[in-house]
Amino acid sequence: MRKRLEQIEIPGEHEARERSWAVVRAAFAEREPAPRRRSWKPIAAVAVALVAVAGLLSPPGRAVLDEIREVVGVEQAQPALFSLPAPGRLLVTADSGAWVVDEDGSKRLLGNYRDASWSPFGRFVVASRRNELVALTPDGEVRWTLARPDVRFPRWGGTKTDTRIAYLSAGTLRIVGGDGKGDRLLDSRPGDRAPLWRPGSAHVLIYERRDGSIRVVDVDTGAQLERKVPMTFLSQDDLRLAHDLLGPGDFAPPVRSPDGKWLAVGWPEADQLVFVRAVGGRQLRAVANVSSQFRSRSFPTISGWCCLSE
Amino acid sequence: MGAGRDERASVRAAQRGSASGIEALFRLHWPRAYRAAFLVVHDAAAAEDIAQEAFLAAVRNLDRFDRRRPFGPWLHRIVVNRAIDWTRARQLRGEAELVDAEAPADPAPLDASLLGALAALPPEHRAVIVLRHLLEYTPGEIAELLGIPRGTVNSRLRRGLDALKETV
Repeated sequence: MRKRLEQIEIPGEHEARERSWAVVRAAFAEREPAPRRRSWKPIAAVAVALVAVAGLLSPPGRAVLDEIREVVGVEQAQPALFSLPAPGRLLVTADSGAWVVDEDGSKRLLGNYRDASWSPFGRFVVASRRNELVALTPDGEVRWTLARPDVRFPRWGGTKTDTRIAYLSAGTLRIVGGDGKGDRLLDSRPGDRAPLWRPGSAHVLIYERRDGSIRVVDVDTGAQLERKVPMTFLSQDDLRLAHDLLGPGDFAPPVRSPDGKWLAVGWPEADQLVFVRAVGGRQLRAVANVSSQFRSRSFPTISGWCCLSE
Repeated sequence: MGAGRDERASVRAAQRGSASGIEALFRLHWPRAYRAAFLVVHDAAAAEDIAQEAFLAAVRNLDRFDRRRPFGPWLHRIVVNRAIDWTRARQLRGEAELVDAEAPADPAPLDASLLGALAALPPEHRAVIVLRHLLEYTPGEIAELLGIPRGTVNSRLRRGLDALKETV
């Protein structure tokens, strides 16, 4: 039996071995040997405490907080994320990995991923490790993985029956099917910025090139579709709106709730996550101590807010 | 199962940052890891990814690896479990489906009957057959590698071999 199993010819085995060796060799060259064992707990505790204190006491943070209280009447930031103000689930990326926050505020760590985004209907998450693209369920169950070097900015787009994932890998822009198959190069000189799928399309991708130009392409044919840059890519409307509602401050790019009524705005200098009602009457809810809630030394990224149940 | 002297030396060298150490491990273990993955998933591209991922996991965890233990079983555990996961996940459809996905490469006709008979088995049975008859682990070792009872290994082996006998 062993002999027969060993004799089965696998097409392209030699090429596969050399491709794999190139990836493994590159990963090995980039690897940082682990430091000698020592406890990080005291350092992490001090770092978290410093971040929290800096957020509360720094003059800009305090000034902005005062202004917010004056303008929109926020009384006190909640000490923890108890619930979301609108239906859906938040995807948060922190130093500790990617987290899903349910509407009732319960949090789940999906794993040690450095970037993540929702699939178009929120049934899956695509996330990246340094040399791996991973598709998983919101419960953290890995559905497939793809080994590629230096994976960044995975973005999942499409319809319910036809999806693609665009991502950067080692300075190139690549596309792979939602089932992890058909991985291919799209552009060898993309800019260092997350690509964007045209809503409802698994074929039209908008991305920046290294020379600063913006491309709108059909990923299946490679054809450039439009010369004019769609406003959806460059628009800072939600960020402007956040500034209008919150006042001055160094805010992270907001994400909009699935019902379109709320913005979730990261406010790193105050270590707060602020929910702002952008439609109808102005309301504001602030949540403090965000970094420590996501076991992160730096302020987490709010990667998405998805989706309305059907 | 103890690690051979050469393998231990390669692991030690790789842990110290030697590229020749990791290359020796790769050249020694990749062919069987790739073949084992292929025989479970029946897709050359997926087998390539799975074997590659297993080695990337090895690179990531190299510093924590106990070099007194053999490298092969540790790698094979990752490969076979991922191959089973991949085969299950392949059934994932709906939102995750890609309508114009590349078709899997056709395997060569050589011993297509054995390959076809294997393909007819559930992935968990294929994995046990591959671990026993390609990688030559004992049922007890397979139980440990897959985290299942030894009785389950034996029953899967028996059923798998019965099915193969009928077809081949």
